Amino acid sequence: MMRSMVIVSRLAWRNLWRNHRRTMIMLTAVSIGVWAMIFMTALMRGMVNEMIRDTVRNLPGHVQIHHSEYRDDPSVVNSIPQPTGELLAALESPEVVAWASRVRVPAVISSERESRSVTLLGIDPARESTISFVADDIAEGRFLDDGADNGVIIGRKLADTLDTELGKRVVIMSQDPDNEIADRGFRVVGVFDAKTQQLEESFIFTGIKTSQKLLKIGDRVHEVAIIGPDFRNVAPMYKNIAAATGPGFSVLPWNELDSYIGTMLGVMDGFVLVWIVVVFLALSFGLVNTLVMAVFERVREIGLMLALGMKPIMILGQIIVESLLLLLIGLAIGNALAWLSVVPLQGGIDVSIVAEGMEMFGASAVLYPELLIADVIMANVIVILLGFVASLSPAWRASRYQPIEAITKV
Amino acid sequence: MHITVPRLLSVIFSIQIISSPSVNAEEARDIVRQSIDHWRGTSSVGEMTMIIHRPDWERSMSMQAWTQGDKKSLVRVTAPQKDRGNGTLMIDNSMWNYSPKVNRVIKVPSSMMGQSWMGSDFSNKDVSRADDIVDQYTHTLIETIEKDGHKVHVIESIPLEEAAVVWGKEVLRIRDDHVLIKQSYFDQEGELVKELESLKIGEMGGRVVALQQRMSKVDEPDDWTEMQVKSMNFDVELDDNLFTLANLRNPRN
Repeated sequence: MMRSMVIVSRLAWRNLWRNHRRTMIMLTAVSIGVWAMIFMTALMRGMVNEMIRDTVRNLPGHVQIHHSEYRDDPSVVNSIPQPTGELLAALESPEVVAWASRVRVPAVISSERESRSVTLLGIDPARESTISFVADDIAEGRFLDDGADNGVIIGRKLADTLDTELGKRVVIMSQDPDNEIADRGFRVVGVFDAKTQQLEESFIFTGIKTSQKLLKIGDRVHEVAIIGPDFRNVAPMYKNIAAATGPGFSVLPWNELDSYIGTMLGVMDGFVLVWIVVVFLALSFGLVNTLVMAVFERVREIGLMLALGMKPIMILGQIIVESLLLLLIGLAIGNALAWLSVVPLQGGIDVSIVAEGMEMFGASAVLYPELLIADVIMANVIVILLGFVASLSPAWRASRYQPIEAITKV
Repeated sequence: MHITVPRLLSVIFSIQIISSPSVNAEEARDIVRQSIDHWRGTSSVGEMTMIIHRPDWERSMSMQAWTQGDKKSLVRVTAPQKDRGNGTLMIDNSMWNYSPKVNRVIKVPSSMMGQSWMGSDFSNKDVSRADDIVDQYTHTLIETIEKDGHKVHVIESIPLEEAAVVWGKEVLRIRDDHVLIKQSYFDQEGELVKELESLKIGEMGGRVVALQQRMSKVDEPDDWTEMQVKSMNFDVELDDNLFTLANLRNPRN
C-alpha cells in the first residue's frame, strides 16, 4: 500500500512537469486566486473591524442604558437617574472596564453667522476620556476639566461651518423638560478632529453638570455607556447589567444600538466564505480543463498501464494526486504572496482619494488589513476540498478506460 | 521722596476715575432701559408695515401689534390677503406662531429661534427677546455727541459670558429723548455684521418714536427689512385675554 502510494506520487509529480508550460500557467492562476482570496479578505476584515471599533468609540460604548422611550424620542424628558444601588454595583463589577453617564439632547448651536442642529453631550471628562474618542482627538485647545466645566468642545468641521474658532463664544439652545427654551453662551475651549466629518459636525461636548443646570434636569442623565473587555463578546456583561436595571430602562448591546454595524459583522463571515468559493469556482474551470487535457494526452499510456496490470484505483489516485500537488504548490505561493503583501501594509493604506465614498458607510480614510488565521485556514481548506472534488471527474474517466480501446486509440 | 499735596490729590483723583466705570455702567444701563420702556410704554397698540427688500424683489406686509409691559406682545398680519391672519404671540421668552392656512398654533422651538421671523431679516429671537439687551450685557457709555440739536449717547454693550448672545458687542446710539437711532451688531472680531437704523423719527401717539427702522446686513447691503409705523397709541387699556393662545387662533378684536 505504502509502496504503491510512493509510486503514484512519483508518477504524478513527474507527469506534472511533463508539460511544464501548462503547469506554470495553472500554478500562476492558482497562486493569484489564493492571493486574491486571502488579501481581499484581510482588507474587508480590516475595514469592518475598524468600522466597529470606531463606532464603539464614537459614543455607543459596548452596552448602553437609556430610558425606554429615549431611543424612539431622544428628548430631554426621557431621562434616567444616575446609576445607584444594584445597578451601580453591576457597573462597578470587575467585568466592566469603564462606564460613563451622559446628558444627551438635541440642540442648536449658533455663531454670529450660522446655526446648526447638533447633539449636545454633557459628559464627565474623567470617565469619558477612557471610553470615547474626544479626549484623544482634541486638535486645538483643551479637553474639559471636570463635569462643571463651562466650556464647549466642537468638531473642526462644525467650527468651519459656523465660522467660529477656539476662544470665541457660541450660543447653545435646547429645551428644558417644561418645553421652555434653555439657552446660554458657551466659550469654545477645544476643537476635535474625528475620523469622519459627520462626527465633527454632529456632536458638541460640555460638562455634565453645566448641561444639567442648563436643561434644569437636576442630576438626571440620558445615557449610560459601558465598555467591557472585548466588543466581540458583550453578552455576559450585557446580561448582568440588564438584570440589575429595573423596568422603564432599555439596556442594549452595541450591535443592536447600531444594527447596521452589528449586522455588518454577522454578514462578514458569510461574505468571506462566498468570496472564497466564487474565486475558487473561477479557478476550478482552469483546473478541470488542465486535468482533462492531461488525461486526454495520455490515453494510450493509461491504457498501457492498465494492460500491464495497474489497478484503475491507482490511475484515479494518480490524477487526483497530480491535481492536489498542483493546488498545494499554488497555495504555498499564494499564501506567501498574500502574507508578503499584507505585512508591509499593516501600517494602513491611505485611501483618502475615495474618503467621501468610504464615509458614506462609516469607514475611515485609512484601511488596515487584518490577516486572520481562521480566514487563511478556511481559504486553504476550501481550495483543497473543492479541488479534490473538481478533479474527481477527469480522474474517474481516466480510470474507466478499457485497456484495449485505450491502447489502440489514435 | 515725600508725598506732596498735589501728588496726594492726584492719587485720590485717580481712585475716582477707577471707580467711575461702575457709575458709568449704571448710567448707561439706565439709558438703555429707558429707551426700551419709552418704545414700549406700559402698553401699546400700533399698526405698522414691514417691507422686505431683496435685490430682485420686494414685498410688504401690514400688521397690527399689541404690547403689555415688557413680557407680553401679539402681532397679527392684516395684509396682503394671503398672509392675513398669521400671528405671533410672545409671553416671557416663549413664542407661538399661528397660521390660518394650517389652522394650528405652533410653539416656536428653541431650534427655530435663530431663524427668520415671517421671512424678514429679523430673527425670531430679535423679535421676542428684544429686552435681553438690558440684563444680559454690560453697558459702557463711550461718548455723548451732539447731533441735530439732540444729545446722542453712544453705548457699547458687551454680552455677559453666559448670555445667550452670539455677538461680540453691540453699539447703541440713543438720543436724549430715548429714541434708539442705531443699533450695530459686531462679531467677536469686532467686525460689523448688521445694523438696525432709525431712518425717520417723529411724533406718534404723543411720543417721539422711530417711525421707520431698517435692519440690514453688511455682507448683503441689498437685503434689508424696514418697519414703518403707521399709527401708535400708548398706555391704552388692553383686555387680559388678548395675550392668549385662544385669541391668537381666533381673533376677537
